[in-house]
Amino acid sequence: MQAQKTSSQGSTNLVAIGAFVLVFGVLFVITLTNAPVRSTAQVTETLGAYLTEVRTTAMPFLIVVGLLAAGVASVAALVVRREWPDLTRRRALIAGYSFLAPYLLVTLTFTVGVILFALYIAFTQYEIYTTPTFVGLDNFAQALKSKDFQQSLHNVLWYAFIVTIAQTTIAIALAVLLNTPMRFRQFFRTIFYAPSVTSSVVITVIFVWLYLKTGYINLFLDRVWNLFGLEYKAVDWLGNPKGLIQLVVEASGGKIPSQQWYLRGPSVAWCALMVQNIFTTAPTFMIMFLAALQDINPALYEAASIDGASGWQQFWKITLPLLRPIVVLVLVLSTIGTLQIFDQVYLATAGGPLGTTMTPVYLVFNEALGKQGPIQMGYASAIAFILAVLIFIFTFVQRRVIERGTEMY
Amino acid sequence: MSVATKTMTRVRVREKPVHQTVGLVLRYGVLIAIGLVMFMPFILAFLGSFKTDAEIIAWPPRLLPETWRWENWVKVWRTDLGEGATFPRWLFNTAFLSVTVAVLEVIACSMAAYAFARLRFPGRDAVFNFMLGTMMIPGAVTLIPAFVLMSKLKLLNTYWSLLLPGIVSAGAIFMLTQFFKTIPRDLEEAALIDGASQVQIYKDVILPLARPALLTVFILQFQAMWNNFLTPLLYLDAPKMWVLNVALSVFKQQYKAQWNLTLVGAVFNAVPVLLLFFFFSKYYIEGVAYAGVKG
Repeated sequence: MQAQKTSSQGSTNLVAIGAFVLVFGVLFVITLTNAPVRSTAQVTETLGAYLTEVRTTAMPFLIVVGLLAAGVASVAALVVRREWPDLTRRRALIAGYSFLAPYLLVTLTFTVGVILFALYIAFTQYEIYTTPTFVGLDNFAQALKSKDFQQSLHNVLWYAFIVTIAQTTIAIALAVLLNTPMRFRQFFRTIFYAPSVTSSVVITVIFVWLYLKTGYINLFLDRVWNLFGLEYKAVDWLGNPKGLIQLVVEASGGKIPSQQWYLRGPSVAWCALMVQNIFTTAPTFMIMFLAALQDINPALYEAASIDGASGWQQFWKITLPLLRPIVVLVLVLSTIGTLQIFDQVYLATAGGPLGTTMTPVYLVFNEALGKQGPIQMGYASAIAFILAVLIFIFTFVQRRVIERGTEMY
Repeated sequence: MSVATKTMTRVRVREKPVHQTVGLVLRYGVLIAIGLVMFMPFILAFLGSFKTDAEIIAWPPRLLPETWRWENWVKVWRTDLGEGATFPRWLFNTAFLSVTVAVLEVIACSMAAYAFARLRFPGRDAVFNFMLGTMMIPGAVTLIPAFVLMSKLKLLNTYWSLLLPGIVSAGAIFMLTQFFKTIPRDLEEAALIDGASQVQIYKDVILPLARPALLTVFILQFQAMWNNFLTPLLYLDAPKMWVLNVALSVFKQQYKAQWNLTLVGAVFNAVPVLLLFFFFSKYYIEGVAYAGVKG
């Protein structure tokens, strides 16, 4: 009896060690593939050459991430040791992680491993062809001092601010309109949603054409101006670097010097891209609001109209407070999306005119691929992390502010 | 008094339909106007794709083409940059990637969702919370390092570079987990008593019952892959491996003055997703709404 127990305990320990080796092995392979090395294409010719390369270029990375992997593997081993003796719990453990295996492998390799790599190189000077050398916070300092990055942040903050407010308002208005009793609701909903279904590339290409000096948007404005007997001068929408505030100041005879570009406001070109983005994303949020509206109990409106509340009062006192959680979600999603705008800029303006449509993600893309001067992987990664922190703060603040507001209800 | 009220009600009864009709006309007028605005860019692009290159940038622009030049479409279809980089190939790349990613994602995500929704094992909630955490990571952070990883694994310019990371989506797993939790447990318990394994329960009980949710994930993922631009731009830069979006972005630069050809490419790219959407709009809208309400 005694002997049998020891042997089963021994085999449990053996299994636990096996689990440690398995988990550590998998994590270590992921670490190795994500290690920052020189000139990637050549060193992967043979495994031995790659390992030597990793040893010489990425030792600190290996040690840190290796320790992390060992920690996770130890936890796994302890859990296995605890669960193994009980047959049902053993089976549950195996079944659970087998079902999760594809997800875990892919996420650990392509998300976690990749982020550890990005975090590491953000503190180094790394151009793919050189050994990453530790430079501390230099990349972050360089980014914050660079005019390109400052301008890209300035642009994207204007963008997020205007687009988020405009598209949330429009989305609510469209949803309320579609929620009124009507025939063909499905049909209208489908039509309204169509711009959100197609790719940003298609929409951008079409809009660049619509925005041409001889395009339909100028034609439309020309006809409207003519209605009022005014002369319309066609605008080169995507080529105009003048800021909105600058235009107002200049119209009143003032001038904003180019050193104070940050006072000029979003450029005409940038506003043109904003309109396009509002057009394509508002319908997505409209669908979310519509779903939430349909969950509101109609008895609330009946009670309110018996009490003599007008439609407008019902909207402010019933609809909007009840939509609050969705409003938070939409604001957060919209901010996250707009701060990361890339496709439209890449296709329509390439950051121009005069950098007034430059965005952080576009900058990351350019710096990392060496589209403007040398490849600067570490620098690009630092920019990406500054943006990530910004996104995180915005999300957090929006949640907090609006959650505090909900406590009243 | 009573007579007065009676006549007033009678008057009101007669007037009400008129008032209602005006409101009705106004409401449908607004709806149709918005619908037109929303659909106008597609209509204009479609009509523009049949014009000549002079006609398309002439001022003032006209609505209909002078003659319907089908040869624009033929010309784009016959685009050939050599070494197998042809328009049909780009269409194939896009369709193949979209379908395959969507199928693989439905499989991998439903497996993970089954584990989260139905199995009890240590670490389950920790992994679930970890997954919710990964949803907050902006794509900009992983963009460049993922590109480096792909080049190290020699996966650049292969379909694998989009298929491998594409098979899991935290959002889809979250949605399926919530859906699986709503499926009553009675059926599984009966199956368990009959001696079914977890794999059999997943395959024969849960998946058939979750068909609408799986279809929603499939459609949303198909659309996401079809519309994806940044990752194919980075990972698949050999002309033969382009997807339609990347080809279109090159078109825009290459046919600078030939807007008619660029628009053919745009319409070609938009039509499949629009058709899919019109046929399956219920699933689309459920997916988006679900993400909103439960997220």
